[in-house]
Amino acid sequence: MENEGRRKFLGVCVAGATAAAAVAAGYPVFRYLAPRSGQGGAAKLVIPAGELKEGDAKFFEFAGSSAVLIKTKSGELVALSAVCTHLGCIVQWVKEKQQFLCPCHGGQFSTDGTVLGGPPPRPLAKIPLTVTEGNITIG
Amino acid sequence: MLKRLYRWLDLRIGVGEIVEKELTGYLLPRNINEWYSLGSVLLLIFALQVITGMLLMIYYVPDADKAFKSVTFIMNEVPFGWLIRLCHAVGSNMMVAVLILHMLSTLLMGSYKAPRELNWVTGFTLLALVQGISLTGYLAPWSQLSFWATTVATNSASAIPVVGPYLVEFLRGGKLVGPPTLGRFFALHAAVLPVVIAAFIGAHLFLLKRTGISAPPFGREGTANPFEAQQYHYQGHPGGIPFFPNYVLQDLTSISIYFAIFLAVVFFWPGMPFTPDAFVPADPFRTPAHIKPEWYFLANYQTLKIFPSELFGLSVQAAAMTFLALLPFIDRSPERHPLKRPVFLTLVIAGVLLWIALSVWGHLS
Ligand code: HEM
Ligand code: FES
Repeated sequence: MENEGRRKFLGVCVAGATAAAAVAAGYPVFRYLAPRSGQGGAAKLVIPAGELKEGDAKFFEFAGSSAVLIKTKSGELVALSAVCTHLGCIVQWVKEKQQFLCPCHGGQFSTDGTVLGGPPPRPLAKIPLTVTEGNITIG
Repeated sequence: MLKRLYRWLDLRIGVGEIVEKELTGYLLPRNINEWYSLGSVLLLIFALQVITGMLLMIYYVPDADKAFKSVTFIMNEVPFGWLIRLCHAVGSNMMVAVLILHMLSTLLMGSYKAPRELNWVTGFTLLALVQGISLTGYLAPWSQLSFWATTVATNSASAIPVVGPYLVEFLRGGKLVGPPTLGRFFALHAAVLPVVIAAFIGAHLFLLKRTGISAPPFGREGTANPFEAQQYHYQGHPGGIPFFPNYVLQDLTSISIYFAIFLAVVFFWPGMPFTPDAFVPADPFRTPAHIKPEWYFLANYQTLKIFPSELFGLSVQAAAMTFLALLPFIDRSPERHPLKRPVFLTLVIAGVLLWIALSVWGHLS
């Protein structure tokens, strides 16, 4: 009986030490492999307003993801996430139709991001922007 | 829970039978000693080298323009990158050290003798292969140290008559060490040699399984080898101690001691694998002063220096290596106890001292 108790105690000690060792080895490996935060560019971006003509779109990297800035025919500026809300492809700008087309499954979005057709469940996310002295600041 | 899983497996694939045969029923000589656990330590080190090597490959770029930067990035930017790299670099040194100890123990206990000649030969090949994987890995960081150590090491082959100069060019993939050298060395280091080493480890263990483990020549029984080459016979040890749990405990003890030493170096002597030249990117136009190989090549390096002709120095080394590789076929007496083999023991001690002396000399010169 006393032996049984010792056995159990030692077993718990060994299991505990093994678990501690596994964590000590596993944590560095996890951190080593984990994607690095703060990577993939600034969360704020300045684009000179002159760079964009009416009816055109400009794609750029924003906060580690893809985004697009458009100037509508009426001169309104809109910044949107370029990541399709269906399965994550990057949408294309169709200048003739003044709308976005996702090449993967044919999702369509209007200039303000609302879904016009196809499988996407949600509109494209809007990104705030401000215009000061000919500079467009995104984010 | 574990018991139920075990039973589940046992009912289907008979794990109990394997455990009985290979673990609890695998009997070892009663007088077995600590030195027999070095093989398990080596298996563990190799596994760790493979794992840390795979992890390094995630961020390392084998391109002459980017290699040094990528290694610096691993060291300074990637979380715990320094740890992974140090484990790999220190581990390679430890592997050679433990390999030498393993070899010395089998040498002194005469376990290379019949019927275990092939175990010695495969083991000796493993030593050469591990030296090869270290040499090729040494170039990977593309530092001044990498670059010039590789230049010197590959250059020594030029002393071979007739084919020497072409051989050097072939090894380097060009007249001088350069980007093509990194390509071939990295392929050898991370793809070819690991597979070849794993295959030789497999052969080494297979041979061990077929001959049976040797009994140490110390203690109660006769010390001479009972082997007679009449017919195949597995050398078992009836009445011996079981591998599991008895010897597994010894293996774990040795592994723990190894880890204590290994981690002490990683944490308290992280400069061990490096010299200041390891922190300067390779520059083919500027040879640094005092380029030395790693410690386990210092004796070879010094031998090359003391002989007036490079060819002579190289031949002496080749002869010594061949002699060691073929030792079981040269030394055929059945006696295994070191104290009953005074000439042999003297030679081994003299050889080790000579090796140490040459290494120290090489280090200081
Ligand atoms: C599958 C097995 C292996 C892989 C995938 C691998 C991979 C790598 C990589 C990517 C590097 C470059 C990064 C660096 O230098 O820190 C490297 C360096 C190195 N490796 Fe390996 N390796 C393996 C096995 C081994 C073994 C078994 C040894 C020796 C026993 C070894 C010795 C070295 C050495 C000496 C360096 C240079 C270390 C340094 O100065 O940083 N490697 N290895
Ligand atoms: S991912 Fe855009 S429509 Fe499917």
